[in-house]
Amino acid sequence: MGMHAHVKDTLPFPSPTAFQPFKLAMEDCDSCGCSASGGSMGFGSLLNANYVGLRYLYQFYRTNDGLYSNSPWYDEQYNTLQVWSRLPVSKKIQVSVLVPYHFHQHQTNTGTQSMQGLGDITLLGNYRIYQNLKKDSLTVQHTFIVGGGVKMPTGVFDQANNGSVNPGYQLGTGSWDAIFLTDYTLRYRQFGVNAVMNYTNKSENSKGYRFGNQFNYAGTLYYIWNKDKMTLAPQLGVSGEVYAHNYQHGQKLKETNGSILFSKIGFEAGLGKWSLGANVMLPLHQNLMAGNVNARSRIGINLNYAL
Amino acid sequence: MKVFFKNMAVVMTMALTLLSCSNDDANSNVSGEGTLKLEFDNVYKTADLAMNTAYTNSNGEVVKVSKLKYIISNIKLTKEDGTVFTYPKSQSYFIVDELTPASLLLNLTNVPAGNYTKVTFGIGVDQDQFNLGATGQGDFLTQAQNAGMMWSWSAGYKFVAFEGTFTAPTVSSDTSFMVHTGQTGTDYNYATVTLNFPSNALVRTNITPQVHIMADASQLIDGTNTISLTAANGMGMGAMIMGGSNLALITANLANMFEVEHVHND
Repeated sequence: MGMHAHVKDTLPFPSPTAFQPFKLAMEDCDSCGCSASGGSMGFGSLLNANYVGLRYLYQFYRTNDGLYSNSPWYDEQYNTLQVWSRLPVSKKIQVSVLVPYHFHQHQTNTGTQSMQGLGDITLLGNYRIYQNLKKDSLTVQHTFIVGGGVKMPTGVFDQANNGSVNPGYQLGTGSWDAIFLTDYTLRYRQFGVNAVMNYTNKSENSKGYRFGNQFNYAGTLYYIWNKDKMTLAPQLGVSGEVYAHNYQHGQKLKETNGSILFSKIGFEAGLGKWSLGANVMLPLHQNLMAGNVNARSRIGINLNYAL
Repeated sequence: MKVFFKNMAVVMTMALTLLSCSNDDANSNVSGEGTLKLEFDNVYKTADLAMNTAYTNSNGEVVKVSKLKYIISNIKLTKEDGTVFTYPKSQSYFIVDELTPASLLLNLTNVPAGNYTKVTFGIGVDQDQFNLGATGQGDFLTQAQNAGMMWSWSAGYKFVAFEGTFTAPTVSSDTSFMVHTGQTGTDYNYATVTLNFPSNALVRTNITPQVHIMADASQLIDGTNTISLTAANGMGMGAMIMGGSNLALITANLANMFEVEHVHND
């Protein structure tokens, strides 16, 4: 059978395979253009296993240089427009491509500055190592996927950091990074639970800067509601990111590590081959860069076309 | 499928190869010269120093600063192997002035490449230099005169000039204060401080470290030794602290005025 979501499937709802939300945490913005962001953004498509789509990500931070008791807080806004797709290679293997274009802006003591450009392109391969797909809606279904890939330094890294105190205020990390991921989905009737973990091992870039390795995790509950050609999937979950210290020329940079936990709520709606998704993430707990970076909110919106 | 796996294997191998060849600048052979910048960031206690802004001292006096200048001199940089680079003495006199942003960043050029762990500098002009006489001062004499950092040649340089107004429990209206350090009849009052870097400053032909030094102006009068502006305002004409034993106390306070917050190696 194909990997298509809504076709050739006798289930009353799409197969778990089709429901591989591409919770692909790593996304475009691990530590670049959003040091504190990283994976865990977005559910990817719950409705379509294979797709090509356009996604918009918004991230709002406030930053403080941490130098003085009266240091001002500045707004920092990261916008990313991303072409993303997940393509079938075989029954068990899929390849993902993420091509982000960033347009960021931040306040400084001399006014608002902005930058834009291509971000770091990510290539991933996913391999489904387990699935107990049965044509019986009462069976608890499990799917387990592992994957890996690379994030390439296609985005510009400016070591002067564009005047921000946030080392993540960049278009790219400038580095070749290795990504490892696992993705587990449990489905029972209309309900699903998804758990993803991924780890990004970052390398030193040509400027001698190395962003800290990053661990992302996310857990999402969802419900699938079908009627005719329409599908609606509300989602609720948490996601988190843990960052190790950044290094420059082999020296650890203090106050560049941290962690954050988000709550997230969203939905995905499908009609035929099209699907529209949106989610909002709000921090529950955070300690990024010794408190000098404060994540406020994230929004993701995507429009996908099933392949 | 086989082809796909083969291709993936090739891609992963290439990626790992790229990932594994990081250049370790910190340990590679180091040669040539570079620039090191010392940034003096004046604060008042923990606040970024702002002019004419009220700060309260531990003795209850409320200070508003209108001028902060000091002479930095005789800079030495120590490498991690313990060797010391002495910046050429003729170029090693600087006037840091809070109101002149460019003066807050000292550009030390032609510094031998190396991993530096600390900086030593003087506050003021050392006695050996002063003893060279007016003609031995080079351009710095004119520079100091223009900056108001000289009394007269015989009286010598002002090492620190710290001025503003204050109020106190017994001084209700804004009253001016002036703290000028320099030599007195009994003390020369030149101070030397050594500051350790929290991480190495990596001077290279292509890396210009910037050492961010916090200079806490409150330490001058509200440090190890507390100087009462109220007491110095005995005549009610303002607190003029330009001589006497107070200068030695203020000079001693300089030991705790400076601290390296961080080092950028961009």
